[in-house]
Amino acid sequence: MKPVISLAFAIILFVNSSFAQIDNSVTASVKISGNCGMCKNAIEKAADKKKVSKATWNEETKVAGITYDSKKTNLDAVLKDIALVGYDNQSFLAPDDVYNKLPECCKYKRESKQPLLASSQQQGQSTHQNSEGHNHSQTTVDNTIQTTNQLNAVFDSYFTLKDVLVKTDGNQASLKAKELKAAITAVKMDKLAMDVHTVWMKLVSGLTEDAEHINETKDIAHQRDHFMSLSKNMYELIKVAKTNDPVYYQFCPMANNGKGANWLSKEAGIKNPYYGAQMLTCGKTVEIIKQ
Amino acid sequence: MAIQKVIGKKLLSLTTIFTFVISTGYAQKLVRYDLYVKDTLVNFAGKEKRAIAANGQIPMPTLSFTEGDTAEIHVHNLLKEETSLHWHGLFLPNKEDGVPNLTQMPIKPGTTNVYRFPIIQHGTHWYHSHSGLQEQIGMYGSMILNKRPADIEKRKEVDGLPTVPLILSEWTNYKPDNVHRMLHNASDWFALKKNAVQSYGEAIRDGHFKTKLRNEWKRMLAMDVSDVYYDKILMNGKPESVIESVDGKKLKAGDKVRLRISNGAASSYFWLRYAGGKITVVANDGNDVTPVEVDRLIIAVSETYDIVLTIPAASTSYELLATTEDRTNSASVYIGNGIKQLISPLPRLKYFEGMKMMNDMMKMNGDLDDMGMNMSLNQMDMNVVMYPEITGEAKPKQKDDDPDRYNANALSDIVTLNYAMLKSPEKTTLPDAPVKVLQFELTGNMNRYVWSMNNKVVSETDKILVKKGENIRLIIYNGSMMRHPMHLHGHDFRVLNGQGEYAPLKNIIDIMPMETDTLEFNANVEGDWFFHCHILYHMMSGMGRVFSYKDQQPNPLIPNPKLAQRKLFADDRKMHFMFQNDFATNGNDGEMMLQNTRWSIGSEWRLGYNDMHGYETETHIGRYIGKMQWLMPFIGFDWRYRNMALHAEEKNMFGQSNTKNNRAVVSVGLNYTLPMLIRFQGEIFTDGIVRLQLMREDIPFTKRLRFAFMVNTDKEYMAGFNYIFSRAIALRTHYDSDMGFGVGLTFGY
Repeated sequence: MKPVISLAFAIILFVNSSFAQIDNSVTASVKISGNCGMCKNAIEKAADKKKVSKATWNEETKVAGITYDSKKTNLDAVLKDIALVGYDNQSFLAPDDVYNKLPECCKYKRESKQPLLASSQQQGQSTHQNSEGHNHSQTTVDNTIQTTNQLNAVFDSYFTLKDVLVKTDGNQASLKAKELKAAITAVKMDKLAMDVHTVWMKLVSGLTEDAEHINETKDIAHQRDHFMSLSKNMYELIKVAKTNDPVYYQFCPMANNGKGANWLSKEAGIKNPYYGAQMLTCGKTVEIIKQ
Repeated sequence: MAIQKVIGKKLLSLTTIFTFVISTGYAQKLVRYDLYVKDTLVNFAGKEKRAIAANGQIPMPTLSFTEGDTAEIHVHNLLKEETSLHWHGLFLPNKEDGVPNLTQMPIKPGTTNVYRFPIIQHGTHWYHSHSGLQEQIGMYGSMILNKRPADIEKRKEVDGLPTVPLILSEWTNYKPDNVHRMLHNASDWFALKKNAVQSYGEAIRDGHFKTKLRNEWKRMLAMDVSDVYYDKILMNGKPESVIESVDGKKLKAGDKVRLRISNGAASSYFWLRYAGGKITVVANDGNDVTPVEVDRLIIAVSETYDIVLTIPAASTSYELLATTEDRTNSASVYIGNGIKQLISPLPRLKYFEGMKMMNDMMKMNGDLDDMGMNMSLNQMDMNVVMYPEITGEAKPKQKDDDPDRYNANALSDIVTLNYAMLKSPEKTTLPDAPVKVLQFELTGNMNRYVWSMNNKVVSETDKILVKKGENIRLIIYNGSMMRHPMHLHGHDFRVLNGQGEYAPLKNIIDIMPMETDTLEFNANVEGDWFFHCHILYHMMSGMGRVFSYKDQQPNPLIPNPKLAQRKLFADDRKMHFMFQNDFATNGNDGEMMLQNTRWSIGSEWRLGYNDMHGYETETHIGRYIGKMQWLMPFIGFDWRYRNMALHAEEKNMFGQSNTKNNRAVVSVGLNYTLPMLIRFQGEIFTDGIVRLQLMREDIPFTKRLRFAFMVNTDKEYMAGFNYIFSRAIALRTHYDSDMGFGVGLTFGY
């Protein structure tokens, strides 16, 4: 009997000590976003600091019981560690890139995340301009804003598509081309300025077709073929429509089987969408398009 | 009657002062600050430690002035030691510059010093102690020089924004004197704390054994991007803080905030990154620049940057994260109201990629080879090979001849600021004047922590004489293995960065290894102006020069220039002490050493527990020669006593016999560091005996385990292991040909 008793005693002691590890302990219940068992593991692992903090997360209620040593840490420090592995909570939003890398099943709905102000990006760019630049009459200012606003969505989708091609990512390119197509469809022609309107009429079918083709395939070579004509049309459009920031018209002599091909970029530095990492910096700027 | 008269006079003078202040009112206001500098105890990282505060604050209070004001700053020294305050980046008369023993005598304990100077510029600056290592423990603060109201109108989109000064710093629980001493003794304790030992074990695990071998063959200790491990990073004295409102106005979505950021750290560079989008850089070192949008920037020690951030969504605050260059620590400030949007921390450095890169750059003689890349202005950053966010987590696929292989902006979507992107909004050309060209090489070696310019430290050189009115052009090449933020007192220089007439004005330039930068300034204020590396421990090691104007008026605050110079030179002549002893079962092994830039006085001993094992000491006084300091000739003194009946005489490998039983001799010899960092020692004693010896004590097998060995021509040998527990304690086991096998504890200081 004796050994059994002492064994039991030892087990009790062990269990006890494993619970008693956190001194000055405080427990809080906190809602933490997440979906599944994988989330549970990740959340609990992030909070598990020997003798300092630990958490148990409930998949049903999304509530975590967090126990921590109030002399060594605080609730926010634990919540920050949880957010840094991808899980939004009452105090912190996870970094976007960390959230995006979560397994598909863990991509919970980000309820606390607020939509970005559309104006914030516009405003962000106005610092570039000299204050003296605003001496147009009121009506023309309104007009230009309308034109650029409408077409900006098209240009922006084009630039994102280009960036994805630089990364040689056929899946993403297909998705981005879909967005581009949507942006093209959304343009209200009657709101465009006269000269832009004319060019748009001429180009819209070609633009749409290329966007559709890129969307329909995930074959990067095929996508890049269509990107050539897309870029050419886009160049003609941007020449009349203009954007706030300078746009760089760039050329790689090796693309298109040595015949060369162009593309547009917001940066002066060369990042080749036809070759990606294979020949990232092949090419040069042939024209800078400014307002 | 007499009393009345005196009071009357006093009243009169008081009214004159009063009217003076009033009448000059707006244009020339006198702004007075009183700073009470006092010892204090702080707890930044779990332990109560000594620090220095001004008016009870760390950082010291933010001093604000408007261009055109006259500053009057009363510094009351309530410390038990001397102090001083330097106004970093300010144009002022030389005697107000605050460099002790150069522009003024130190402020003695219990006295008050008044600095008084007109404010003739605007911008973000800071101030700090220039005495010893006081800056490390709290003596830094923001100094904001506002534009005149009329000038604010000219750039209202920036200057009209809500503005917050932020000063960055670091904290270590070690005393800064101790940090300095450990650096000079090549302690790898900081590397251990940072998990950056880069041992053979780790090299093998990561498939980099050859890299490590080649690195040691080229006589390099494991490299890191910074020297010191810090316990905490602080922004305005806090590791985490929130900016919810500015000037009483709550921040909301769409608002922009301008941060005036100074890097008041002693030795840390910081990456600045923002969770809410792009960072717009609008000024640098107190000078406006044409706004430029970036994803991140590194702020060198003592630089200042003004950045504009936008709050892009409602009910959210966005993290501005300042990460040390070695990525071991960071501080955050959240801007806005609401839930905190984080930005992901920077991933750990790929140290062995960095080691490989250094191997390629280092020639066998210790010179660096840039392989024809002509690097400058931080555009090419060799360290990108270590940055997973730029070159990927895996091994880089870049070809060796790609001209862009170190260009972070070409390799990734992340836009990193470099000096070529800075442009002054106004022309900065210098007045037409004769040009004096000065070339400098930044030099140094990590193994002995010696930092210098043209291989000379401050105390080994004369002041550089310049003529008032001439233009000085500095061409600086960094031939050392660390980056250095070089700071010029009292002047701004133009950085020739390809922006032509619009070259940006700065007073600090960070120069990375192998870069060459060209700066120019007009010599327009007489005085003795310090030009030095702003990494505190490099400066204290003597990495600097003094520019002095020809035929200038003597400085009334330096009554005895010779004494002042001697005290100034004492900084880099300081001897650093180290001691260690192994208390082992077979005896005591130990050494102690005093060394500075060139000299070394060292004693080693082996003390047995009985006469048969014997007792011996060797003392060497030597001088290090050359840039890499691999060679050290010395004179020595040996004493041994042993009582050993059996082997009364021993023969060495050259057939010379030696009793070793009671020997006291003088010697001459030399130490030379061989490839693989093995120390060769050749010595000839007055009794004609020659001894050659090979030895190395710090071969890193794993993160904490070191292997040591020694063999010599007296047929003595030793081999052993050290396991490092803490900074001061290691477990040692070794076998010694004289004393046999032993286990013990080593205590070091």
